[in-house]
Amino acid sequence: MFCPSTRPVRFRVLGGYSLAAAAALLLCAGCGASGKGPATLNWYVFPEPSGSFARAAAACTAASAGRYRIAINFLSTSSDQQRVSLVRRLAADDSSIDILAMDVDWTAEFANAKWIRPVPTALSAQIRSVDLPGPVQTATYRQRIWAAPINSNTQLLWYRKDLLADIHRRVPTTWAQMIADAIELAKLGKPHYIEEQGAQYEGLTVWFNSLVDSAGGQIISGANRVVLGRAAEAAASIMHRLATSGAADPSLNVAMEGSSDVAFDRGTAAFEINYPFVYQSAIAANPRVAKEMGYAAYPEAVSGVDPHVSIGGYNLAVSAHSAHPGLAFNALSCLTRKQYEIAYAVKGGLAPVRAAVYGIASFQKAYPFHALIERQLRTYGIRPQTPSYADVTLAIQKALTPTSAIQPATVVDSLRNEIRLSLSSGALL
Amino acid sequence: MSAVAAETAPGTRSRRRRLTERARDERRLAALLVAPAAIVMIAVTAYPIIDAVVLSLQRADLRFPGATKFVGFSNYGHVLSAPVWWQDVFHTAIITAISVAIEFGVGMALALVMYRTIVARGLTRAVVLIPYGIVAVVAAESWQLAWSLNSGWIPKLLGLSGDPLSHTFGTYVAIIVTEVWKNTPFMALLLLAGLALVSDELLEAAKVDGANAWQRFTRITIPLMKPAILVALLFRTLDAFRIFDTIYIFNQGAQGTESLSILNYKTLLDRLNLGLGSSVSMLLFVLVALIAFVFIKGFGASAAPGAEAVS
Amino acid sequence: MSGREATRVGRVRTGASARRSILLSQHARRLTGWSGAFLLVLAFSLVPVLWIAFLSLKTPASATDGAFIPHHWTLSNYSDIFKTGIFTSALRNSIGIALISTALAVIIASAAAYAIARLEFPGKRAILAVVLGVALFPQIALVGPLYNLWRQVGLYDTWPGLIIPYMTFALPLSIFVLWSFFREIPGDLEEAAEVDGATPFQAFTRVIAPLAAPGIVTTFILVFIICWNDFVFAISLTSTTSAETVPAAISTFPGVSQFTVPYGDIAAAAVVVTVPVIVLVLLFQRRIVAGLTAGAVKG
Repeated sequence: MFCPSTRPVRFRVLGGYSLAAAAALLLCAGCGASGKGPATLNWYVFPEPSGSFARAAAACTAASAGRYRIAINFLSTSSDQQRVSLVRRLAADDSSIDILAMDVDWTAEFANAKWIRPVPTALSAQIRSVDLPGPVQTATYRQRIWAAPINSNTQLLWYRKDLLADIHRRVPTTWAQMIADAIELAKLGKPHYIEEQGAQYEGLTVWFNSLVDSAGGQIISGANRVVLGRAAEAAASIMHRLATSGAADPSLNVAMEGSSDVAFDRGTAAFEINYPFVYQSAIAANPRVAKEMGYAAYPEAVSGVDPHVSIGGYNLAVSAHSAHPGLAFNALSCLTRKQYEIAYAVKGGLAPVRAAVYGIASFQKAYPFHALIERQLRTYGIRPQTPSYADVTLAIQKALTPTSAIQPATVVDSLRNEIRLSLSSGALL
Repeated sequence: MSAVAAETAPGTRSRRRRLTERARDERRLAALLVAPAAIVMIAVTAYPIIDAVVLSLQRADLRFPGATKFVGFSNYGHVLSAPVWWQDVFHTAIITAISVAIEFGVGMALALVMYRTIVARGLTRAVVLIPYGIVAVVAAESWQLAWSLNSGWIPKLLGLSGDPLSHTFGTYVAIIVTEVWKNTPFMALLLLAGLALVSDELLEAAKVDGANAWQRFTRITIPLMKPAILVALLFRTLDAFRIFDTIYIFNQGAQGTESLSILNYKTLLDRLNLGLGSSVSMLLFVLVALIAFVFIKGFGASAAPGAEAVS
Repeated sequence: MSGREATRVGRVRTGASARRSILLSQHARRLTGWSGAFLLVLAFSLVPVLWIAFLSLKTPASATDGAFIPHHWTLSNYSDIFKTGIFTSALRNSIGIALISTALAVIIASAAAYAIARLEFPGKRAILAVVLGVALFPQIALVGPLYNLWRQVGLYDTWPGLIIPYMTFALPLSIFVLWSFFREIPGDLEEAAEVDGATPFQAFTRVIAPLAAPGIVTTFILVFIICWNDFVFAISLTSTTSAETVPAAISTFPGVSQFTVPYGDIAAAAVVVTVPVIVLVLLFQRRIVAGLTAGAVKG
């Protein structure tokens, strides 16, 4: 049967196009529109391979007592592509999205464009009271909560214990120390690369933003005041230093989270800045590396100052075009319940957003780096919360790639101009 | 008109009326037959173009639904004063020039092989056609995965320790190789059609006069093939200038490989900045028209397919 | 015996037999040369195809080993892509959208090409200018306005949303190819039919159309390949399994985890979508060559 999906046929028939339209209609005959029975809530979310999202969706469907059925739809892997596929449909008033998983940096854009509904007061209050401050802040725009955090994420420093032992060093706590250690390993002819995400994509913005925040600065304050300044210069210097030090993987310019992980598992790296998924991945890919794999807090940009690491993760929002907003918010609060969050973390490796989960013994056992994560979610850094974020991040990516060609003294000024222009839709990036 | 010429008998009035009726019938039928194609082509291209012109004069950003307003030519100003625009013009021109030049050389060789070979001619032609038929995305994926250090065989073959796709030069090489591989067969086919226009007697006569193979090729074959060569170059240049698929799959324009098509796509469909993006579209449209104009007027109208039927 | 050895042997002989053996040896040398050329062409065309096929047969663990020929073989990538709905629906969309667009384009183009090739009417020049204009049109400059239009009329992410541009941009090539076929059908056939009292329309349907069948098949294949291969419109005007075609789906395949590249799945999907094209090319090589050359260059 030709049924593209259960979504309703949306096009109005246009005179000249009726032939094509009729053909498609014919093929779609028999596709059931949502009529009687439970309402279908389409949940669009990043691919979650452990199946814990699917299980939660099924459990919440059962718990709704026949009021709704949550249909899970996986988007593509890259967050950039997830955004593109969602925003184009939201801008087209597509009513077939009910619940969407937004990367934490999309909130301002989606809220400003009126693509999502603000979270009702009761649920907002609950989110504010139970979730960690970092995740709550990512869901906030103009003092309102626009989405329910479902998982968080933060990068840690992963390192090879055996290699550090070779040079009799303790885990580096600053970027400068880490680069120095890598150079020393290189002199001994040992694996020494530092794996970071230097490709021209969102991961690079995460890196830059972590360094700017950790150096005590900001990229944008509020929705539209460009700050940058000395901290941004310091951040750009660190990126440039790594890229030109010989400590970086020669593939830095194309490195994303996945390729950093592959390189570390291959055994050519001594350090890696990445999300916790790399831990399970190393155990599967190369047990010898996994045995020697240690983890520590994200390195400091300024010695002695706690780093503010760009917070990652996803928030669940309800589409402005959803036909069942009430049910959708109900589903939202179900999908973010404590027991499911534990499952997302333990089975799928996703960092919980609820403070209480971090105190549960069984969770702690399954998630050995829980204390580091919790601390970094409290001392979080956050990417600019502006409706122009898609432009701002593109400006950052263009200005700071290739990292080896960064000129810290001048890049900040040109970046400031681009970001200012982009706030009025005038920047060609 | 041959139908008229065939009527040699002195026409009576009734006969003439019958003829003009037939001519009128013919016109009516022609209009009926041509109308659907004409309407579709004009509607599907003209309406969006007009829409683009209108949008390009506005701040029209789907992320700021309340802020739409008329801004005159300031979007064009933003585009033409942005370094990115000129960089991308340069990237696109470089990729176009190098890949079309290589495609022409390799394509000519392939055409000669297809035309002259005495070994498995049918199979040769079929094999040459394979890259032409292959989905552009598949070709790009195949080459991208082949060049990438994490998955590919090429870095190993060349003994590279770093990733060739991590710097500009390596990425350009990989992208141009992909373009050449995918598009040379089309070039070769167009040149093959041109080769068929060169008469064997002429070549034989030149041979008798003592011209060697190279002289025969450059003095006889190439000049006689000129119309076919111009068509091939026109089609491929315009096509190469629109390069999108390969770069999108490789790295979406990172490492200084962003083309105008990628810029256009990103501004319109990633950022949903319809105003600024539409002005990019219009400028891109003008550039393509300019290239076509130069080929058709500069090198002779005969390069235009269909020109002959009109004359 | 190589060509050169044959020549050397030929030299020491005398008379007619020597001349014959020189001719023979020249022939052998040419055979060797052209066989070499054939092998080069074979390598040029097939290496990337073989590579992606081999990659699709590697186990996930060995996908990043960089070997051209797999060390560990598996078919699991193929069963994987058919397990998720993404690829199967993309395949369905690709087939359906390409077939419908092609059929519509060929029907509309046949009518127009017939009129241009065989009827006299004013405005022929203008029509040809439009056809040429659309043929040279930068399609990428259209995706933005089309998205904007489609999102307002509800055609975004639907089959007609792709069928309309595919059909439109297939028309110029279809018209050129069909026109060249129609022109080659002898003119007196129609006249004979018309003398027998047939109207021009009857002359078209009863006499010309059957003779043009090979041209129509050729056009169908060429246009199908174009629609099947498109990426620009597919990536811009679709976003879900409702209308996403295979090229677009390949470029957005989800990995095993949020951050991994699904090498095997991409390769397997690439092979599946390539097989029909290779079959078409091998079966209809002669027609494709004739069609493309006739469509672009008027002999």
